[in-house]
Amino acid sequence: MIEVESIDKSFAGQRVLRELSFEIPDGRITALLGANGAGKTTCLRIVTGLLRADAGRVLLGGRDVAADPLLARRQLGVVGDREGLYERLTVKEYLTLFARMQGLAGAALRDSLQAVRDELELGELWERRTRGFSQGERMKVSLARALVHRPQHLILDEPTRGLDVLAARLLRRTLLRLRAEGTTILFSSHVMSEVAELSDRVLVMAGGRIVGSGSPTELVEQTGSDNLEDSFVALAYGGGATRDANREEAPA
Amino acid sequence: MLGTGRLWCVLLLVFGGVLTGPAKAQTVPAGERCYLDGWSSALHCYRVPVDAAGRGDASGSVPGGLAVMVAPAVSDSGRDPLYLLAGGPGQAASELAPLLNAFRKVNRERAIVMVDRRGAGRSGAFRCGFERQMPSDLQQFSRRLADCYLQRADFAESLSSRQTVEDLERVRRYLGHDRIALWGGSWGTRTALLYQQWHPQSLSALVLDAVAPIDSKVFLAAGAAEQALQELARDCADDPECARFGDWKGDLNRLLDGWSDAQARAFPDPLTGVPAAEPVPRWMLANAVRAALYEPAAAAQLPYAIHQASRGNYLPLSGLTGLFINTADSMAMGLTFSVACAEALNRISADEVARDSADTFLGTAFYDLFHSGCRAWPVTAKPYSEPEPRDHPVLLISGAADPITPPVYAERQLGYLSNRQHLIVAGGGHINSRRGCIPDLIARFLNRPAEPLDKTCVADIARPPFMVDAFGPALGVKTGTKAGKQEMARD
Amino acid sequence: MMAIGKFSARRMAALLHKEMLETWRDRRALWMAVCFSLLFPVMIAGSTTFFVKKHAEETTRLALLGAERAPLLERRLQSDTLQVDALEQGEPRALLAGDYDLVLQVGDDFASDYRNFRTPQLYLYVDSSATAAGRAERHLQERLGSLQQLVAGQRLVARGVAPQLLAPWKLQVRDVSTPSGRGAMLLAMVPGLLILTLFVASLATSVDTSAGERERLSLETLLLQPLPGWQVIAAKTLSVASMGWLGALLAITAMVALMPAMPLAELGIQQATTTAGVITMGLVLLPLALLVAVVQILLALRSQSFKDAQTQLSILQLAPVTLLMALDMSRVQLADPLWQLVPLVGQQQWLKALLVGDEVSLPLVLAGSAASLSLVVLAVLFGARALRRESLLGAL
Repeated sequence: MIEVESIDKSFAGQRVLRELSFEIPDGRITALLGANGAGKTTCLRIVTGLLRADAGRVLLGGRDVAADPLLARRQLGVVGDREGLYERLTVKEYLTLFARMQGLAGAALRDSLQAVRDELELGELWERRTRGFSQGERMKVSLARALVHRPQHLILDEPTRGLDVLAARLLRRTLLRLRAEGTTILFSSHVMSEVAELSDRVLVMAGGRIVGSGSPTELVEQTGSDNLEDSFVALAYGGGATRDANREEAPA
Repeated sequence: MLGTGRLWCVLLLVFGGVLTGPAKAQTVPAGERCYLDGWSSALHCYRVPVDAAGRGDASGSVPGGLAVMVAPAVSDSGRDPLYLLAGGPGQAASELAPLLNAFRKVNRERAIVMVDRRGAGRSGAFRCGFERQMPSDLQQFSRRLADCYLQRADFAESLSSRQTVEDLERVRRYLGHDRIALWGGSWGTRTALLYQQWHPQSLSALVLDAVAPIDSKVFLAAGAAEQALQELARDCADDPECARFGDWKGDLNRLLDGWSDAQARAFPDPLTGVPAAEPVPRWMLANAVRAALYEPAAAAQLPYAIHQASRGNYLPLSGLTGLFINTADSMAMGLTFSVACAEALNRISADEVARDSADTFLGTAFYDLFHSGCRAWPVTAKPYSEPEPRDHPVLLISGAADPITPPVYAERQLGYLSNRQHLIVAGGGHINSRRGCIPDLIARFLNRPAEPLDKTCVADIARPPFMVDAFGPALGVKTGTKAGKQEMARD
Repeated sequence: MMAIGKFSARRMAALLHKEMLETWRDRRALWMAVCFSLLFPVMIAGSTTFFVKKHAEETTRLALLGAERAPLLERRLQSDTLQVDALEQGEPRALLAGDYDLVLQVGDDFASDYRNFRTPQLYLYVDSSATAAGRAERHLQERLGSLQQLVAGQRLVARGVAPQLLAPWKLQVRDVSTPSGRGAMLLAMVPGLLILTLFVASLATSVDTSAGERERLSLETLLLQPLPGWQVIAAKTLSVASMGWLGALLAITAMVALMPAMPLAELGIQQATTTAGVITMGLVLLPLALLVAVVQILLALRSQSFKDAQTQLSILQLAPVTLLMALDMSRVQLADPLWQLVPLVGQQQWLKALLVGDEVSLPLVLAGSAASLSLVVLAVLFGARALRRESLLGAL
């Protein structure tokens, strides 16, 4: 369970998040939908504790992230930007070291590594250094790193960008399995089709706040649109907010 | 993979190294910092306690101990140190410090050790009050000597080559030296040869300059001096400018033969320019000429000086004696006579004196000084035994015109040394270790004593130019028909 | 509490392991460190050898014009270091432009003037703009001087004057330097270069691990791990310092290994560096290596980009050399123990002493190292705060 309670965030005097509040329930896949610059990444960084909110708080499993960030990070798996791999480490080293940083050791470490290796089909990549990996391979390694310590909460920032069909299918399959295990999953995206296909619930962000929420079908119904894309446009740009507001919201 | 565990191991090793590193025992005592005239770098000075060879007799002891001065090797690579033995007998090794300038190359890898023997230099110099000038009257000289002897007869009796050699051996052990090389100059060669006889196992190599072999009778100097003068005359005759002085050697003999008291009193003092306070008798004049032959630069001025003196101008000859004023006070006369009388003069018979002095300019002028001195200095004879064969590498150096230790000494009396090489410097005087390429040859010999030296460069050492007139050497005349290159400056 | 501490240490070990792997697998950085570390000892050894060889072998070439008027002069000037060629004729300027360092002209009336005590002139042509001019002139003056002394001595003797009258006293020089101390001049630059090696050897790594990691976007992932910020900075500092330190150790080892090959003894210099001294040198450099590393990391983290970081650190590496040179030139009395508490200065002083085999005061080394280390701690804590800065995460 992730609870975001009226957080505010400004960069260089420009307000990026305005009293943002939402809840992400366990065992569900929630999509954070918004245009580029809507504040999605800032929002996710506050949830992961990388950034501090100016006001409000974030609770992870009922605990304040800002109060005990280290504890929060142990319950959190994050798939951020996939460029962030260490090219001089092999997949095995990479996953081993990050698992150890998460506190895994001994048999638990071995089992966890084995599990992500099988689940994300990393066998062939296992002993290779990550330099020159494809986008799909990078996503698999990043996801494996995020999952290796079996976090209760999984946060993914635009996970499907640049993925080929097989990798996207593997991602979907994994997320669905995690949902079945009761993991709290939050991912950001601006691609309507994947949001429609994957998410149980959609949060539409615009101008630093949530402008709509519900299941994809509910959203379509609410806005009276034909599809999710139309309803997103209606929610993000129709509700009085102008396109110019987006630029204004972009942090420095 | 570079694990953290291994990193700690590395650190542990490093720290372990530090802890065990400096814990090396220092066996050689640390000397005091000191200096000697003629050498600008600091030396290590030691005082090595000695008593009268353990006989419980304090007569031979030196208050404060034996003065030992060490010029440490610039970069110590464990080579045998070189000990310098001074001449006389009566000269102090510490007076040899200027020699270090020539021995720089040797000193790079070897310590150079100077030990002032008992009764010399800093080891309680036994001077008898002859610091400044010797009296010109031989009888007066003997009287003063006798007084000096009576004051310290036991000490005089205790001084000997044997004692010096044993002291050297003691110093060697004190400094922790395994084996040593010796450089001996003049009488120092005698000490070195005796050390070789008595402590062959402590010795690695010998360098002997102006060799006084164990059997030689160096106080019979008239023949050698005459020989040196003839060498000089021969070289002078080869020089067109010097040849103009004609029979200056004959002039010298005539001058000495006819030397009168009036002349002795009129002889000018080279320092003040007025007639000397003490007259200069014949024996002293002859010895002054002999002394000039020690040094080729001085010898080169003899033909002109004698030529002038034979014509009544004694100034050049007087100026020449001025060259030796500073060297006179380096001898500790008490030590000189203790050793010379006990180990040299007593071996010389009247017949030998007569034979040696016949037909020489010097005659008995040199011998008489010691002969009369030894009568006032009644130490017991301390003969050496016949030298035994030795196979240490030995480098012998002689000056062809040396008036006291001519090359024949080294040629004829060292047959018992199976491993010797001899350098003869043409026109060379007494002590040639500083000249031309000799320092390099010594360094090479010490480093590779087994290899025969290439001696060709010795021929490049030539006499300094003759003084031909009041203006000095003839710069504008082509001279030296046989002399090749002039002596080259080192350093 | 124990469990948390243990876990934390284990996490830190994993982090350190990761940083070390990253650092030591960076071929480019490793090459740079190794090359620079070996470069300067080899250069010092090479230049010393070259200098001595040149110095020993270099002879001055003198053209003597009118030698037939003073043949003895020609022979007496000739020496190991002065090669005299007697020339019938020649134009001094042309000769100097050719092979000759000096041209000495003997005047027409030299011989007769000399004999008549009229002080004949010798004319020395020299090109003072030539590099060898000073040395050449010195060689000639030496030889002329000794000849002059010989002539003057003979003239005095000819007049019955002891030549020593011309020397009213004799100056005895007493050099208080030690043979190892004489090496200090030659080796004076070595401590500065060793410290520079620290900077250069850790430069690439420190940029890579901070600005590089930020630019490659992996820093964010790292910060999301349950590790406190100080551990991240500390792990990076350790790994960067390991590279810098290795470089410095390599340089010391190379330096000391090359010393026997250098003609130090010929310069009258004693090689006095001991094994314990070498190890101590390595140890005193360790706190400085850590300080350099953490300062570099902080600077690189502050900079806008990888390139910017490289530029900034390149400028930073001039700092120690400039500082040490400035201190040297201002003739600050560095013997004051307080100076040894100043990072860089302290290490430089200790290295200088250790290189020539002098003693260093253990309490001062410990105190100075402690001073450096506490700066490291402060910098790490400061860096931990810097990690929380939003700008660190870069453009969104």
